Amino acid sequence: MAGIKVKAKLKNGVVKVKSMIKHEMMTYNMAEKKTGSRDNANFITHVTATVNGETVFDASTSQFLSKNPILKFQFQGIGKKGDKVEMVAVDLKGKTYKGKGKIK
Amino acid sequence: MERRKFLSMTLGAVALAAVPASVRAEDFRKAKPNVWTAHTVEDAIKAMYGTTTLIEEGVELKAAGEKYNSGRKAVASNGGAIPVDFSTKIPAKTIAVFQDANPEAAVMVIDCNKYSVNNYSIKIKMAKPGTVTVVVEGQDGKLYAAKQTLDVALGGCEG
Repeated sequence: MAGIKVKAKLKNGVVKVKSMIKHEMMTYNMAEKKTGSRDNANFITHVTATVNGETVFDASTSQFLSKNPILKFQFQGIGKKGDKVEMVAVDLKGKTYKGKGKIK
Repeated sequence: MERRKFLSMTLGAVALAAVPASVRAEDFRKAKPNVWTAHTVEDAIKAMYGTTTLIEEGVELKAAGEKYNSGRKAVASNGGAIPVDFSTKIPAKTIAVFQDANPEAAVMVIDCNKYSVNNYSIKIKMAKPGTVTVVVEGQDGKLYAAKQTLDVALGGCEG
């Protein structure tokens, strides 16, 4: 299943998150070259991470992230060991990808 | 309980994604569509922030292993996955990443909140050598930026 891998680590009050979204990230140019139609392009357009229902990371993205993009980010002031970081990504076709990881 | 909580949270997130753009200020793809179709960095910054006045300080940027202002030109061996690290101590509202090697300029826009520690690391694609620009919109309304020019040995957008 397509999804997101999430690893989170708490250190000195800051939670560092490393995540990888499994996605082709097909740009318009790639789609045109491979399938003959620009409409086949597909990429992650929005990524959100939440802890205990609070948003800690929120980004709008374009087709120029790499294939299977790796995102690293940090946050503080929320989340303790054992809490889950949940991530949701949406791609151009409206499909959602989900993943979660425990804070270690 | 665990399962119920997870389900309600994910359903909530999906419902949130379905809410129109007007009430979700942070979805910049819908709120500012011109940013994502702009072909030059300057146009994209203008579409995003309404101005192109940048203050080149306060932002740390590292692309393909070379730091901003190091004086050396960075070389990325694989344009399909160029590591870009950026951080800032400036209290930021949004952080945007642009480059000038691809057909469109915008790569991503991060919406910062009170929990954010503004230290990020991402991987991007670049079709040819170009310049990565990171713009930080401070809470004071000013734009801070850092740029890094790099060479790309193998283009990333062709496959």
